[in-house]
Amino acid sequence: MKVVGQEHPRVEILEKVTGQSVFGADVRLASPLLVGKILGSPHAHARIKNIDTRKAEKLPGVKAVVTARDFPPVKFGRFIQDEEYFARDKVRLVGDKVAAVAAVDEETAEEALRLIKVDYEVLPPVIDGLEAMRPDAPLIHEDCERYGAAGIVQGRKGNILYHKQSLHGDIERGFREADRVFEHRFFAPMVHQTYIEPHAVLARVDASGRATVWIPTQAQFFIRQSIADIFQWPLIKVRVIPTEIGGGFGGKMLPTVEPAAVALAQKSGMPVQIVMSRAEDFQTANPRHPCHMRYKTGVKRDGTIVAREIELVFGTGAFCGNGLVIGQRAEMLATGPYRIPNVKIDLFCVYTNHANCGPYRAPSGPQLAFGSEQQIDIIARELNLDPVELRLKNAIEEGDTTPAAGGPLKSVHAKETLRKAAEAAGWGAKPREKNRGRGIALGYWLVGGMASSSGVKLNEDGTVSVLTGVVDLSGTVTSLGQIAAEVLGVDLEDVHIRTADSDFAPHSTISAGSQGLRSMGTATKLAAEEVKKQIAEVAADKLEAEAGDLVVEGKRVYVRGTKEKGLSLAQVAQLSMTHKRGPIVSVQSAAQFSNQPAFSVHVADVEVEPETGQVKVLRYIAAQDVGTAINPLSARGQIQGSVIQGLGQALSEACIFKNGKMLNPTFLDYKIFSSLDAPRVEVHLVEHAAEGGPFGAKGIGEPSIVPVPAAVANAIYDAVGARIFDLPLTPEKILLALQESGKGR
Amino acid sequence: MKPAKKRITVTVNGESYEREIAPATSLLDFLRTDLNLTGTKEGCGEGECGACAVILDGRLVDSCLILAVEADGQTIQTIEGVGQNGRLHPLQKAFAAKGAAQCGYCTPGMIMAAKNLLDHNPKPTAEQALKAIAGNLCRCTGYGSIVDAILSAAKER
Repeated sequence: MKVVGQEHPRVEILEKVTGQSVFGADVRLASPLLVGKILGSPHAHARIKNIDTRKAEKLPGVKAVVTARDFPPVKFGRFIQDEEYFARDKVRLVGDKVAAVAAVDEETAEEALRLIKVDYEVLPPVIDGLEAMRPDAPLIHEDCERYGAAGIVQGRKGNILYHKQSLHGDIERGFREADRVFEHRFFAPMVHQTYIEPHAVLARVDASGRATVWIPTQAQFFIRQSIADIFQWPLIKVRVIPTEIGGGFGGKMLPTVEPAAVALAQKSGMPVQIVMSRAEDFQTANPRHPCHMRYKTGVKRDGTIVAREIELVFGTGAFCGNGLVIGQRAEMLATGPYRIPNVKIDLFCVYTNHANCGPYRAPSGPQLAFGSEQQIDIIARELNLDPVELRLKNAIEEGDTTPAAGGPLKSVHAKETLRKAAEAAGWGAKPREKNRGRGIALGYWLVGGMASSSGVKLNEDGTVSVLTGVVDLSGTVTSLGQIAAEVLGVDLEDVHIRTADSDFAPHSTISAGSQGLRSMGTATKLAAEEVKKQIAEVAADKLEAEAGDLVVEGKRVYVRGTKEKGLSLAQVAQLSMTHKRGPIVSVQSAAQFSNQPAFSVHVADVEVEPETGQVKVLRYIAAQDVGTAINPLSARGQIQGSVIQGLGQALSEACIFKNGKMLNPTFLDYKIFSSLDAPRVEVHLVEHAAEGGPFGAKGIGEPSIVPVPAAVANAIYDAVGARIFDLPLTPEKILLALQESGKGR
Repeated sequence: MKPAKKRITVTVNGESYEREIAPATSLLDFLRTDLNLTGTKEGCGEGECGACAVILDGRLVDSCLILAVEADGQTIQTIEGVGQNGRLHPLQKAFAAKGAAQCGYCTPGMIMAAKNLLDHNPKPTAEQALKAIAGNLCRCTGYGSIVDAILSAAKER
C-alpha cells in the first residue's frame, strides 16, 4: 500500500498552526451579532413557582428573552423523553436552563439575567447514585415510568431509569465450584471531558423561518434532529454547519446552548452567539458517569475464573440524555475480556441532581476496568500468580465471546497485546527499588459501526474530492482521504477532503465510539471503488479494451502490461463529460457492522513518596491492538493523548459536589494533567488487518483510555502496598491506606 | 451609566491600531472582537488554560487577564503574526510535522508559549520546553509531540 499505512500530517493542519481555523466562537457574519446568555438554576432541585422576565425585557439593548413558554410543550430524548429544553415546573440540576436573553453586548445581557426574577421552592437534592436508589430518596422525576421511551429501556422505578439483569451460565454453581471467592467495592466519580474549547454556537433564523446553526459538534446530524424535535420542525428547516471543533471526547453530541440561540435568533430577528463559560460547561455539559461497582469473582486455585457477579450503579444525572449508551456498553465490557462460564450482571442507571452524564471517551470503560482489573491484580497476588500469567490464562481468543458482544468475536488479539506490553516493559525483570512499583491492566473495548455514507468524485483535472459530513476530531478526515487516494492510485495531495454541512453532506456517522473511521472509511472505500470502476468504464472505450483489463494507478489508467499507452485521470475525467456515463462521481452507503474487539494493555511504573503520598509516573507503556493503522502518526498521537487524559482521571480529576453544587468548576480546582505532570508515553502498535474495517482498521481513540486508572492503581499497590478502591488516587487516600495497613508513619 | 470609552493605540503583528474601547475590555476580547483576530482563543477566561496566550512587549501573557487599556502603547504578537510574508515559522512547520496539534484549539497559545521560549532561549532542553508550556493545557496530545516539535524547530533555526 502506498498511502494507507503512511504517516501523514492532518490535512487541515496548516490552518490550525496559523490560527486560521474557524472554531465555534470564531464565526463572524456581515451583520452584527447579539450576545446570548442563559439563566441557569442556582439550585440542584427546586420547584419553579414563577418566572418574571418583564424587567429584563424592558432593559435598553435587550432584543429577546425566552423561557419554556416560547417552546412547544414537548419532552424529548433519544432514549427516554424526559427532558424539556427550558425548565417549566421544576429544575433538576444547578444550571438547569430557566431563561435566556439576547442583547447588544455582554454587559447588557448579564444585567438582563439579573433582572429576571424566579421564585423557587427548594427541594432536597440527591447527587450520589446509591442514595438516589433508596426508597426515601427525593424523586427527581415524579412520573418517570410514564415518559415515552425507546424499546431497550427497562426496569424503571422511582429514580431508577434503567435496570437490566443479565445471566449467563449458572452463577450459583459457579461460586460453589470456586476454590476462592473475592468481593470488592469500587467507586469512580464524575469526571469531565474538559475539551479546551467550551461549547459555543451562532444561530441565525432567516426570513423564511429557516435556522442555520454554526457549532463545534461531533454529531451534526444528531444536533439537527434534536433541534427539529425541540421546535417540532421538519429537518429541512435546520441547517447545521459544523465548525472546527476544539476537542469533544464525547461531550459535544447533544444540544446544549443551540436551541436557546435558535429561539433568541427567531424572536429577535438577529443572529445570536452564545459561548459557555468554563464553569457553565463543567456544570451543565455531559460528563462521565460516576459509578459504584461491586465485583465478586470466583476462581480455581490455578487462577481459572469460574464465576463473576457484577453490580453497577451509574449516576446518570437529571435527565437520561445520551446516558443509556452506558447501559449497552457496560453490559458488554463489565466482565473484562475473559472466558467466564458463569456471569451475573445487574446494571442500574439512576436519576441524580447533576448534569446528565453521557458518553466520555470509552463510556464506562475506565470505571469498569478500575474495578475489574484491580480485582484481577488482587487475585493474582492472593494466589501467588503472576498478573500477566493470570490474564493470559483467562483472556479470550479468536471465536470466543463475552456477554452482549453479539456472538463469536473475530480478530481477537488480547494475548499478543498482553505479551507485547509485558515484553516492552521488561515485565519479568522489574527493578525492585524502594517505593517504586509497576502495574499492568488489560483494557477491553468493542467497536461497532453506524450507518454512514460518503461521496467521491473525480474532478476535471484528475484530482479527487471526497464529500463527507463526518466531523474531524482525531484525524479521521485525513485517514478517509488516504483511503480514497489508495483506492484511486493518487497521492493524498491530489485529494481534497473537508467536512460539509448538513445541507450538503451525505448522511454521516457521529465522530464518537471509535467507529468513525470504520463506518465512514467503509463508505468512502466503496465510493472510491465505484469511481474507479467508472474510470475504467470510460477509459475502456477510448483504449478499446475491456474494463476488467485496466489498471488504475499512479494517476493514470492503462491496459495491463502496456503502461506507456494509457490515459491520465485528467483525460478520463474530461472524456467522461462527453461519454454516455457522464461525470464520474459516486455516493455509497454502509451499515450493519458487527462488534469487533480492540485491546489495550498498559504498564505503568510509578514512584510513591511515602511521607506525602505523592505519585510520580516514571514510565508508561501502551500496547494497542489497532488492526491496520491507516495513519500511524494519528494512531500514536491519539493513544498518547488518551493515556495522559486517563492519568488525570487516575490521579487528580473529580467533580466534587456539596449540597448539589459542583465546588470545583475551574481548571484551577479541577486538575487535568499539564506538561509538567505528563510522562512520555511509549506506544507499541499490534497490527493485524481486522475483518470488517477499511483496509483492516480498528477503532483507536477509546480503547486507549480504558486501562489507565487500573494500571496506575496496581502500580501504586506494587510500590507501597496501598490498595485504593475509589478514584482519583490522591495523596490523602494513599497516606490513609498506608496508615491503616501500618506501613505509613 | 456606562463608563466613557478609552482610546488606545497598540501595535499588533507590526500594524498600528487606534481604537475606542470600553475600559473593561480584556486584551483577548479586544483582539478577537475589535480587531477580528480570532486566532487567539478563550478556554477558561481565568488565566488557567493558556489558550489566549500572546506575546506582549516580549513577554508571554494570558490575554484574558489583561485589560486592553493596559496594553496601550505596547507591541503585541499573536498567532496571526508568527509566520512572516506568507512563510511558516519553523515552530509552525514542526507542530504540523510532529502531530503536535490535534484539535488545534490550544495550538495558537501553545505556539506563542513555544515562540516566547525560543525568542529567549534558542536551544532549550526538553525540560525547559516542558516548563515553557506548563501554563498551556492540551487535552489531545499528551504534550510529548509538542515538546518534540519545539526541540525540532529549535534545531531548524
